[in-house]
Amino acid sequence: MEKSPAPENDSDEIKDAVASPHSPTVDASPPEVLQEPPEAEENEVVEDSNAEEPDLTLPQVWEEIDAFLGRNSDSPRDGGESNSDSDPIEIPRAVELLSKNVESMIDKYALDAGRSKFGHDPEEDSCFFGSVGRLSKLADKIGDLKPTAENANVLRSSSLNRTSSVLQQAMSFLEEEFRAILDEDSKTGRDDSDPKSAKTKHSSSFNNCCSQESDRCNLPEPEPPSTEEEFQQFTPETISVMSKIADAMICAGYETECCVLWMMMRRRAFKSALSERGFDVLSIDDVQRMQWDSLEREIATWIAAVKRCSTILIPGEGALSGSVFSGQPEIAQDLYGNLARSVSIRLLDFAEAVVLTQRSAEKLFKFLDMYETLQDLIAAVDGSKQYPDDPKKKEVRAEMMAVKGRIGEAAVSIFCQLESSIKSDSSKVPVPSGAVHPLTRYTMNYLEYACEYKDTLEQVFQQHHDKAVVETANGEPTDDADSSAMKASPFSVQLLTVMDLLDANLDMKSKLYKDPSLRYIFLMNNGRYIVQKIKGSSKIHELMGDTWCRRRSSDLRQYHKNYQRETWYRLLQCLNHEGLQVNGKVSKPVLKERFKSFNAMFDDIHKTQSTWVVNDEQLQSELRVSISAVVTPAYRSFLGRFNQYLDPGRQSEKYIKYQPEDIESLVDELFDGNPTSMGRRRT
Amino acid sequence: MHAPDYQGSHIGRSILSLRRDQAASASASTAAAAAHSMEPHHRDASTQELELEVFQRQVADRFLELSSASADDLLSLAWVQKLLDAFLCCQEDFGVILFNNRVNVARSPAAERLLAEFYERSVKALDVCNAIRDGIEQIRQWQKLLEIVICALGNRRSLGEGQFRRAKKALIDLAIAMLDEKDSSTTIGHRNRSFGRNNASRDHRSIGHFRSLSWSVSRSWSAAKQIQAIGNNLNAPRGNEIAATNGLAVPIFTMGVVLLFVMWALVAAIPCQDRGLQVHFSVPRQFLWAAPIISLHDRIIEESKKRERKNACGLMREIYQIEKYSRVMSEMVDSVNFPLMEEKEGEVRQRVQELGQVSEVVNEGLDPLERQVREVFHRIVRSRTEGGSCSST
Repeated sequence: MEKSPAPENDSDEIKDAVASPHSPTVDASPPEVLQEPPEAEENEVVEDSNAEEPDLTLPQVWEEIDAFLGRNSDSPRDGGESNSDSDPIEIPRAVELLSKNVESMIDKYALDAGRSKFGHDPEEDSCFFGSVGRLSKLADKIGDLKPTAENANVLRSSSLNRTSSVLQQAMSFLEEEFRAILDEDSKTGRDDSDPKSAKTKHSSSFNNCCSQESDRCNLPEPEPPSTEEEFQQFTPETISVMSKIADAMICAGYETECCVLWMMMRRRAFKSALSERGFDVLSIDDVQRMQWDSLEREIATWIAAVKRCSTILIPGEGALSGSVFSGQPEIAQDLYGNLARSVSIRLLDFAEAVVLTQRSAEKLFKFLDMYETLQDLIAAVDGSKQYPDDPKKKEVRAEMMAVKGRIGEAAVSIFCQLESSIKSDSSKVPVPSGAVHPLTRYTMNYLEYACEYKDTLEQVFQQHHDKAVVETANGEPTDDADSSAMKASPFSVQLLTVMDLLDANLDMKSKLYKDPSLRYIFLMNNGRYIVQKIKGSSKIHELMGDTWCRRRSSDLRQYHKNYQRETWYRLLQCLNHEGLQVNGKVSKPVLKERFKSFNAMFDDIHKTQSTWVVNDEQLQSELRVSISAVVTPAYRSFLGRFNQYLDPGRQSEKYIKYQPEDIESLVDELFDGNPTSMGRRRT
Repeated sequence: MHAPDYQGSHIGRSILSLRRDQAASASASTAAAAAHSMEPHHRDASTQELELEVFQRQVADRFLELSSASADDLLSLAWVQKLLDAFLCCQEDFGVILFNNRVNVARSPAAERLLAEFYERSVKALDVCNAIRDGIEQIRQWQKLLEIVICALGNRRSLGEGQFRRAKKALIDLAIAMLDEKDSSTTIGHRNRSFGRNNASRDHRSIGHFRSLSWSVSRSWSAAKQIQAIGNNLNAPRGNEIAATNGLAVPIFTMGVVLLFVMWALVAAIPCQDRGLQVHFSVPRQFLWAAPIISLHDRIIEESKKRERKNACGLMREIYQIEKYSRVMSEMVDSVNFPLMEEKEGEVRQRVQELGQVSEVVNEGLDPLERQVREVFHRIVRSRTEGGSCSST
C-alpha cells in the first residue's frame, strides 16, 4: 500500500486528509499497521455486521461523521426534540469505524515503546488528533440523543458506551504521553554545572574585606549574564505536540486532568530546577538556629535562586504555558499564575526567616543584597507583559513588597546600631603613637562599604522616614515647614549623625593624650583618614557634601597649626635674637646656653616624635616639609649670624651639634613610628 | 504606631484596640509636651488591671463561642476559619496590651524573658503555618480530582461506560492521594489489587507527585515535634512571676496557650508532614478560658480516636466527607453494569450531587482559609519585628 505524500502542513489536517485521494482505507487499523502483514490487507475489512459493505477511507469516515454531527447540531435542541425522539436513531456505520480507527492507532502508538509517540509522522498524528476530536464530539452528541423507542435506546447506549470508552482510552493515552513528555524534561533538562556556581556580586563579606588592612573593598563586577543558564528548552516540535495534546484534552472536556497533570509536573520541574542550584527548603526554625557563616552561604544561594527565577525560570514558565495552551489564554494564565505564586511564596519565606534572625552589623550587607534582589524580582514581575491583570500576580507582588519592606526596616535598624556601637566605645586606653583609632577604621570602612549600597540605603531610609512621619502624624495631614525638597535625604542625615558621633568620640579620645602635640597628631591622623576615605568614595562624598568636606579640611589645617605651635614655636624661642646681646655685645655664655638648649630640645623632640606615627604618607611629608620650612631657615640664619662668636674648633664643635642639613634630615625621620632611629643616627 | 489592619470577619472590633486608637489620636492631637502625660506608664494601675481582665474575658468568650460548635460543625472548614479568626483577634488584643505596657516590659527583666520565650514559640508556629499551607494545596488537588468525577458523571447527558472509567480513574488517584504518608506503603498494594492491569506503576508515580507538593519545610520536619516544641516549658505563671511582671505574665501565658492550641488544632485538622496530636496541655482551670479550650482539646482528641478517622490524614470534616463519599462512589462505579439501568443512573446522579456539595464547600473555602493562614503568618512576623526582640539593641 502506498502512502499518500504527507502534507507538510498539518494544521489543516482535516481538509488535507479528506482531500487526499489516496488516503488509506479505514479497516480497524491505520495503513502502517496493515503493512506489517501485507497479505492481511485484502481481508482486513470491518468485521461484524458491516462486513459486506465497502470499506470507507478515513476521509470518508470523517466526512460521514462530520455530516452526522452537523445534522444533529444544526437542529435546535428543543425544536429538534420531536425530530430526534421520533426518528429512529441512525448511528452511521462510520461511528464504529472511527472508534476502531482510534483504538488501533493507540495500539500502534503503544508499540513505539520508549521514545515519545508523536512527532515522527505528522500525517499520522494529524489523523489521530482529527479522529479523537471527532470522537469526543460524537460521544457528546450520542449522549445528548434521547430516543424513546426501546431498540433505538439500546443501540444508542451501546454506541455511547463504545465511543465514550474509546474516548476515555484515548484521553488516558494522551495524558500518559503528556506526562512522559513533561517528565522527560525533568530527566534530561538538568545541566550538571556545579550547583553553587551561581554566586552573587558581593562575594566578599564585610568582615573579610576589613580584616585586610588595605581598606579598599573590591566589589567584583556583576557577572555578565551567562548564556548557559537558559530555561529548560523544549523543542518547538515538542511544544507543538504538547499543545495538540492539551487542545485535544481540553476540547474533549478533560481540562481538569490536563491542568492537574501540568501543575504537578511543572511544579516538580521547578522544584528540582531550584534544588539543583543548591536551593533547598529550610524551615524558618532552622534558619533561626543557623550560624551566620552558614546562613550567609544560604543567602548567597537564595539570591542566585531568586535571580534565576526572576530572569529565567518564571518568564520561561510563562512563555511555556503560553505556547502550550496558546488556544486557551485563560487556562495558561491560571496555570502560570498559580505556579509563579507558589514558587514566589516559597522564596519569600526564606527572606522572612532571615529577617527574623538576630540582627548584627555584619548582616547589613547581605540584607541589602537581599533587598536589591527582591527589588529586581518585583521589577521583573512588573515588567513582564504576561497577564498584567492577574489578581494572583498582584497578590504576589504585594507579598514581595511587604517582605522587601521588612528587610529594609531591618537594614535601617542595623545601620542605626552603628550609632550605639560608636557611643558605647569608651575605652580609656589611648592608641599608642597617636595613630588611627580602630573605631575610626571600623566606622569608615563600614560606611565606605555601606555606601556601595548608597541608592538602596537612601531608599530604605526614605521609606523608614516616610513611615515614621505617617505614624507620628497619625493620619493628620503633614505640613512640616521643613519638608522641602532641598532637605538632605534621611540617609545622609543619618550619615552625618554617625560622623558627628565619631567626631565627638574621637575628641574625647584625644584628651587621653597628655602631650598636646601628640593629641593634635592623633586628631590629624584620624581626621585625615576620614577625609581620605570620603574623598576616595565618590558616593560618601556626594552624601556628605562639599561644605562638610571643606570644614573637615580646615579643621585639619587648624590641628596642624596647633601642633606647630605646641612643638616648634617653643623650639624657635631658642633661636630668638633678642636677649643675646649684653651691653651691645653678643654674650657668649648666653649664646652657648641657647645652642645647648636648642640641641637638647631638638634631640628630645626628635626622640619622641620619631616614634609617633603618621600613616598617611602625604600628611607625613606635609608635616615634615612644614616643620623644615619653619625650623631650618631660622636655624640657618641663627647659625650664620652667631657662628662667628664661638671659637672655631673645640667650642663650635661642642655647641654646634647640627648643620642645617642635619636638621632637615632629622625632621625627615619624624612620625616614622621608629624608636631606634635616634640611636642609629648618633653613631 | 502602626495599627494592625486585620480586616477579616471579626467577631467585633475589640474594645482594647478602640481604646488604643483613642489614646493614639489623643496623643497626636495634643501638643508634644502634653503628650508626655499620655505615656502609658502614667496610666493608673486600675486601668491596666482592667485591661488585663478584659483580655482574659475576651479570650474566654472567643473560645466559648468556638466550643459551642455542634459535633457536625466542629472541625469543619468554616470552624477552622473561625478558629483562625479567633487567633487573629487574640493576637491583636495581645499586641495592644504589649504596646500599652511597653514601659512596664522594658522595666521588668522577667517580663522581657517571658516575652522573648513567647516570640520564640511564635516563630516556631510560622513553620506550622507553612506546612498547613502545603496541606491546603494538597486538599486543593483532591478537590480537583473530585471535580473530574463530577465532570465525568455529573453532566446532563446520558452516561456511558467511558464516563465511568474516567470517574474511576480519578477516584483511584484520589484514594491514593488521600492515603496518609505513614501507611501508604502498606495500603497501596492492597488498593492496587482492585484496579488490575498496568495501573500500579503509574499510581506509584502519582503518589510521588502529590507528595512533592510539600516544599515549605524540609524533609525531616515533623509537625508533631514542632507542636511539642511550641508547648515546651509553657507553664502557668507563679504568683511571684505575676508580681514581678506587673501582671503581664498572665496575658503572655494566655497567648502562649492560644498559640499552642490553635497550631495544634490546625495540625489536627489539615494534612501536613508527620502529624501527631500528642501534646501536653497543662492549663490550670482557674483561667476563664481554660474550660472551653480543654473541652475543645478533648473533643478533637475524641474525634481522632474514632475508628473511621484513625488513619485520616486530617480531621477536617470535609476531608472525612470527601473520603466517605468518594468511597461510596467508588463502590457504586465498580458495581455498575452496562447497559445502564435508569434507576442506577438516578442513584449515581444522587451520589454525584453529594460529592458536588462537598466539592463546592471545599472549593469555596480553601482560598479564604489559605489567606487566613497567610495572615496568621504575617501577624506573627509583624508582632515579632514590632516587639523588637530580634534586634539586639
